Amino acid sequence: MKKLLTPEELARDDRFERADMMDRIQDPRNGSEAANRGNGRLRPDRADAPDAARALMHGIFVGEIQALEGAGRTCYDFEVGATGKLDDEEVPFELKLDMARQCWDEARHCEISVKLSEWMGTEIGEFGENAFLFQAACNPDPVLRLTGVNRALEGLAIDVFNTMKEFGDLAGDPVLEFCEDWMLADEVTHVKMGSDWLRKLTVNDKDRQKRALEFQRVVDKLFSFGGFRGEDEESPVHLARRFRELAGFDDAEMEEIAELSREAKSEVEERSRLAREANETASA
Amino acid sequence: MPTTVDPSTFTMVDFDSAEIAALADELARKVGLGDDVQIVIEVDETTPLGRTELVSLDPVHIRTESGAFENPKRIRQFSEDAATDVLGRYLLRAADRRRDGFGDVPPDSELTVPQRTAWEVSAVGRLARLGYPVRRQRWLYAFRNRYGFTDTADDAFEQLWHGDDLSWAEIDRLSETTAATNPGPLQR
Repeated sequence: MKKLLTPEELARDDRFERADMMDRIQDPRNGSEAANRGNGRLRPDRADAPDAARALMHGIFVGEIQALEGAGRTCYDFEVGATGKLDDEEVPFELKLDMARQCWDEARHCEISVKLSEWMGTEIGEFGENAFLFQAACNPDPVLRLTGVNRALEGLAIDVFNTMKEFGDLAGDPVLEFCEDWMLADEVTHVKMGSDWLRKLTVNDKDRQKRALEFQRVVDKLFSFGGFRGEDEESPVHLARRFRELAGFDDAEMEEIAELSREAKSEVEERSRLAREANETASA
Repeated sequence: MPTTVDPSTFTMVDFDSAEIAALADELARKVGLGDDVQIVIEVDETTPLGRTELVSLDPVHIRTESGAFENPKRIRQFSEDAATDVLGRYLLRAADRRRDGFGDVPPDSELTVPQRTAWEVSAVGRLARLGYPVRRQRWLYAFRNRYGFTDTADDAFEQLWHGDDLSWAEIDRLSETTAATNPGPLQR
């Protein structure tokens, strides 16, 4: 069987449509002031809250599929090596066991997400699917892959699930709140796996650890979505500090993620300003 | 009188003003707006967001942002289903406001989010009976978010969904009595 599958090779039926991140970034409408009108934190009293929650839930659903695919590939893509004598393409057998357990969790999350989508009135494939989660799971170095996926992306999942759980709580939706709470507990475990394996596999290789953490920073910044995830009041998704702490993040690491989110937001605002100026110049 | 769409040519999104106008004409006819009613659809194509408002009743002027008509799977592409959903609800709102016997409704800007949702459920239920593709569960979920995840809220939803020719007083009464039963945030 082929190793190191690309995002283009992921199997999907005709309900799904792949969305290209570049199309979103290059959308000429991004420059308008209205486009940058923040909707604020996801709360039930927002006029668009039910539809925003449905769209976010669909994003979680396709993320779960890709997380399942990513953990599955990590089980398969690397050979088992002897502890203490691993090369950069080998992993301990116990790491594969962790990934197998994660597959089990992610498959359950997919099932839960399908049921939640039905509950919220969303069709499978109603929204375009972005494959950038799986792209992070394509790193050929297992340490970088686990750091990018389990610490950065599963960390984002903690933030998103916590936001959705709070939304369900405030809206009085027992089904949403309960499902998110269960999935959130699993995500904490997945992030902890990433933290533990990063420490174990790089204990004698500080250069590799540095590269892994740098990869995590890149993924964290990318997945802050220009301030969508952050600590400002207008950020729809907030950093879930308590749950991240349980997953092995220290205060300095959480501060760094918050700072990356602020940077990402500033960069998007600057890009929007430049696009606005360019549009104005073109129309003048 | 045919619908006017502004702009007549789109440059930032792949929308066709003639297609939007034809859709609005058909919807207007089916929801009971008379042939003599002038309709203006103003689309702000500079933003991907989807806020929509009913600006006036004569002419029936609907102002929207391009995200409201956008295909959620394909960026900047037109979705007939999305446009039908939005135009259908706003044309029905206009038809209701113009209808004798509907009663005095506060201006849109003074409606609460729950009141708007109740009225929208009534409109979407009617669109469903006109044969348009609507997703009932989506609106039930929206309604529950406003009125609580309870049997009482579901009963009110059914009355709104199946009610033809409801007056504003009936919609508002259902809204008020159901809101009073909303248990609010979960108690855990």
